[in-house]
Amino acid sequence: MNYTLLVLSSPTSGHSAQTAAKFAHSVIARGHSIERIFFLDEGTTNGSRAAVFPQDEADKLQPWTLLADEHGVELVLCIASALKHGMLDETEADRYARAGATVHPAFIISGLGQLIDAASNSDRLMTFGD
Amino acid sequence: MSAAEKKRSLVVMRQSPYGGSLARASVDLALAMGAFEQNYDLLFMGAGVLQLVTGQDSQKIGAKNIGRILTSLPLYDMESVYVDAAALDRYGLNEADLVLPVSLLDESGLRSFLNDADHLVGC
Amino acid sequence: MLLHTLNAGSSTDSFRDCLRSSQSGDAIVLLGDGVYCALANSAARQALDDCPARLLALASDVFAAGIADRVGDVALIDMDAFVALSEFYPRQLAWY
Repeated sequence: MNYTLLVLSSPTSGHSAQTAAKFAHSVIARGHSIERIFFLDEGTTNGSRAAVFPQDEADKLQPWTLLADEHGVELVLCIASALKHGMLDETEADRYARAGATVHPAFIISGLGQLIDAASNSDRLMTFGD
Repeated sequence: MSAAEKKRSLVVMRQSPYGGSLARASVDLALAMGAFEQNYDLLFMGAGVLQLVTGQDSQKIGAKNIGRILTSLPLYDMESVYVDAAALDRYGLNEADLVLPVSLLDESGLRSFLNDADHLVGC
Repeated sequence: MLLHTLNAGSSTDSFRDCLRSSQSGDAIVLLGDGVYCALANSAARQALDDCPARLLALASDVFAAGIADRVGDVALIDMDAFVALSEFYPRQLAWY
């Protein structure tokens, strides 16, 4: 089966976003494919390359970057939400004259069309919020 | 993708308009679905019905008027906007308080309606 | 057939509306703060038991909450089983 995941939660409110990342790893382990993971609203802050997590807590970024690096999963941050939350890649940082990129390069910034397109090509759409 | 293969989505709107940023994000999603000519419906439940209340004036809180955006959605008939009737009751509202004509769903209507779509987006 | 994922406490609209939207043939997976709704002898649990949907809970979240021996006969599932449920149920609705 082909899955699209929609992540609405930030890495710091509850652990819904971590659950989503673990779910994605299990989806792949069970032999399915992931069309795309789309991050909306506060979910876009999962793409932060600047967040520092305490050593006695799980790294909230690595489960996502592993999905991209090891399994080629597309991680897309909604552009309108990302900009509001200060999540900028090099292009957006240049465009808005901000100091530098805050988004980890494993993530792409794009529009809601990427969610719509992915969902229409997927057997399953799973939403994670909290 | 041909029309026959086109999936039908139901976006379930459950957030109050200005209590967080998710209501606006989900309204943007509905706008995008319209722009991409998707087959979709909107269902307002719980505090989501508050997005539909007439007379919103959000200028002074620096937010876009969610009620006004909703009236600008490319919805071609009242069949496209559904409201959980119990949610209106919960807030002491009725259809005359809403910015759009809507189809009201009772509990059994709600349950069967949720099973009609290919994908549900819970916002 | 719906897979409801409930990540909210029992005092919320989400909890009430999740139950109202559930029917026979559906499943409700409790996760995050939703696991507290499974506490035995609570009003929330009674409401869940009265609901015709199948009740399950994400084991990691139940153990994190320290309530594994206080949820009675709720089926505890791991992530693999959660994915398996999503294979079986064609549509999911997230309540949070």
